Amino acid sequence: MAARTRLPLQSLIHKNGNVFRSDRIVHTAIQEPVYPPIVPSLTAKSKSAKGRQIAEHLDKVRAADVQEKLTFLTRVQRKKYVLCPQTFALNADKWYQHFTKTAYLPGLPEKFIVDETKEESVPDTQNASSTIDETAFADIRSHVCHSILQENWYMKKRQPFLQREQEHYVAPYLRNLVSGLTHAMAKHNPVLQLSSLDFDPQVNFYWMRGQRTIPRGHRGGRVEPIRFQIDDKPHSQIRIPHQLPQFVPLEVVMSAEVPEIKFAPDLLPMFRRQYENNIFTGAKLPDPGCYGHTQFHLVPDRYRRDKMAKRNLNDQIEVYLRANGIASLFAWTGAQAMYQGFWSHEDVTRPFVSQAVITDGQYFSFFCYQLNTLGLSMETDAGNPRKNVCWGTDSMRLYEGVKDGAVVGLDDSVLKLLVQFLLNRSG
Amino acid sequence: MFKETAQRLKAAGPLLAQTTLLKEVPPRKKPRVKVDIPGLERITYGDRMHYVPGLAKPSFPTWVRDWNDPSHYYAPKEEEMPLHKEKPCFIFNQRTNALEGVRQALWLTKSKLTKGLPDQVLSLAENEANQIENQDERVQNAIRHARFWDTTEERPSREKFCMALLRSLIHLCGSLQVSHSGLGRRILAEKYSLAATWNRGEDLFQVRGQNGLLLNSIAPLPVLAGKEEVQSTADHVLETFYPISPTIDLQSVQVYEEQNHTGFKEDYPYPHAHTLFLLEAGDTPVTLLPEQLRAKMIMFAFGNALARAHTLHGTKPRVLEQPIVVQSVATNGRMFQYVMFQLNTTDLQADEGVKNQVWVENDQLLYDFAKVHPLIKKRVVQIPPGLSGYKPETFQKFLSLYLHGAV
Repeated sequence: MAARTRLPLQSLIHKNGNVFRSDRIVHTAIQEPVYPPIVPSLTAKSKSAKGRQIAEHLDKVRAADVQEKLTFLTRVQRKKYVLCPQTFALNADKWYQHFTKTAYLPGLPEKFIVDETKEESVPDTQNASSTIDETAFADIRSHVCHSILQENWYMKKRQPFLQREQEHYVAPYLRNLVSGLTHAMAKHNPVLQLSSLDFDPQVNFYWMRGQRTIPRGHRGGRVEPIRFQIDDKPHSQIRIPHQLPQFVPLEVVMSAEVPEIKFAPDLLPMFRRQYENNIFTGAKLPDPGCYGHTQFHLVPDRYRRDKMAKRNLNDQIEVYLRANGIASLFAWTGAQAMYQGFWSHEDVTRPFVSQAVITDGQYFSFFCYQLNTLGLSMETDAGNPRKNVCWGTDSMRLYEGVKDGAVVGLDDSVLKLLVQFLLNRSG
Repeated sequence: MFKETAQRLKAAGPLLAQTTLLKEVPPRKKPRVKVDIPGLERITYGDRMHYVPGLAKPSFPTWVRDWNDPSHYYAPKEEEMPLHKEKPCFIFNQRTNALEGVRQALWLTKSKLTKGLPDQVLSLAENEANQIENQDERVQNAIRHARFWDTTEERPSREKFCMALLRSLIHLCGSLQVSHSGLGRRILAEKYSLAATWNRGEDLFQVRGQNGLLLNSIAPLPVLAGKEEVQSTADHVLETFYPISPTIDLQSVQVYEEQNHTGFKEDYPYPHAHTLFLLEAGDTPVTLLPEQLRAKMIMFAFGNALARAHTLHGTKPRVLEQPIVVQSVATNGRMFQYVMFQLNTTDLQADEGVKNQVWVENDQLLYDFAKVHPLIKKRVVQIPPGLSGYKPETFQKFLSLYLHGAV
């Protein structure tokens, strides 16, 4: 138009701007793109193509439902470190804390009143739901004594085979203890009425933490994540359909630190194998009891106090229990979180809480775990301030021994703590 | 040789003259007995210190170690053992597969059979107050957990799901402890060993060994049949199965000890055997058919009752004023058998007199099918995947047996 009239376009615009505006309808909204967005290629042999492939895969995983998500994350089998909760390795608890990004706090959260004197001096301010009355406690105490005595005194039994005393004497008594306590506590804790009690269940978890440079081979020089797998077999566990309440808020900054271990996991020692990557809470996805309440672990014969003392490993007794508690509970809470659709790139929006009691029959240790983050892989760990927390006690003796058909030296405080553990519920 | 060839040879076995694959293992030959003829001196090559053809083999006295080494122990012959007796004893143990099943068990225990559980027990579960919240849904979830969800693999094995199902059902029933405090006065005993002895006819019988899970309680079970009914059983005639002997399939031993032991000490706080749970999960070499499983249940329930009676009143045979009741539940993961045994008398020698009583519920299916993959024939779904055909009555009977004595 400007060429035909031989007038400079600029002067026309400035003089008759309104005329032009009224003639043409100009869309002030963003114009629809006529061409597709410019993204890196998907199939080219370039770094940006690889990046786009990874991004598309992550989007596909995010969009899938839970069962498919689990399949995507566990489909590819590669060599991974097998983390045994009941391990012979020395000082394994620090290493396990590093692998699971767990801060360990000695003692239990304020919820569990351990101090007996505190209880007696302040009876009125106690919450009625956190304690039970004397008759119920006496029933529980007698049931516990009878369970101990049944296996050790009343029942006619052969001598156990060598190194099988725990399975012979303690495992049946622990089963009776757990089921008896659960049924007795169901009156005071309604969530236990809807619980499922599993004996000899299986708990598995698979995750990636940290990275390493592949030293040799056709993939040498490349950076790959370090994979871990826990295959745990607790003695028994209680699963509930509702989640336990958190101990501390999700974003709170804990005083304890996660220990940093710069060595490769091989030095613990830990060994790598390649097999099925399982993520399992004890029941498959459709089970309504998808949240965990309490796990009970039995210390095997090899790690009993007397056997450890014979091998001059007295200091390792507590370390072993801590490592067991941290690893087992991390696996359980992690699996519970993955069953809800969270994974390393979609971090948990609410903390997952579970408890564990580890015992060798006589000595009991109590652990509480709060899973605050699943983002442990190399991409998600970089800017992640959250860490998981584990509270734990040292081992406490429940009874001294069995003499002439009676349990000697039964400690009520340990029983009270057990009761408190089982009374934990949401709302 | 190739697998297919081996299979075909096996199929054609009887037709072939030389069947190397079907060779029967011959019975062990008895060692040659050395006869010592008095007055005849045996010329042996013992002095010559080497074999000489024509001379007899010398027999040296057996060398006996002068100290007792437990890892080199030679057991004496059966006849020389201290507990050897002339009269054989017939033992019913956990591996016994009785040919005549329930009939044989009834004859051995001198019992009268009644089909179906007594009404006072069945009515326990029909009462609204005794039911669990969302009972059907929770039982079905328990079955699904045991059958499908308990493992990372496709399906758990029978040994696993049988035990898991039983434990889940017991846990469900135990949740009623909230409303019935009597349920708390019980305890489970695993791997207990039973011993009970009695004379029947001219033979001696025993029930021995570990059998299953036993639920013990502080209080005894209430008596099912009153005094008149007990006296009327004296008219009942026991069913015999001539020509088969009642001792068939029982382990006959001549080295035994007559023991009567409940498996627990005298001052056990839970002295009364409440329910015996037997599992038929296919992990033993012998798979029991339902009839034989019911026989096993009857025998072990009887054994528990008899051991208790002997502990209370002594081994002298008598008619009990207070009959002892023991229950039993057996399952293979899908089919349940229920037995209630009432011991009225320990006088089992003669065929006449007051009899014991047995109530049996046969072959109660808890559910029809629990399939991981659907059964599709000609593109029509015959059996859907998952749990199908759940029958609530079976669990009601289980619950009523569990609640019996505590309500």
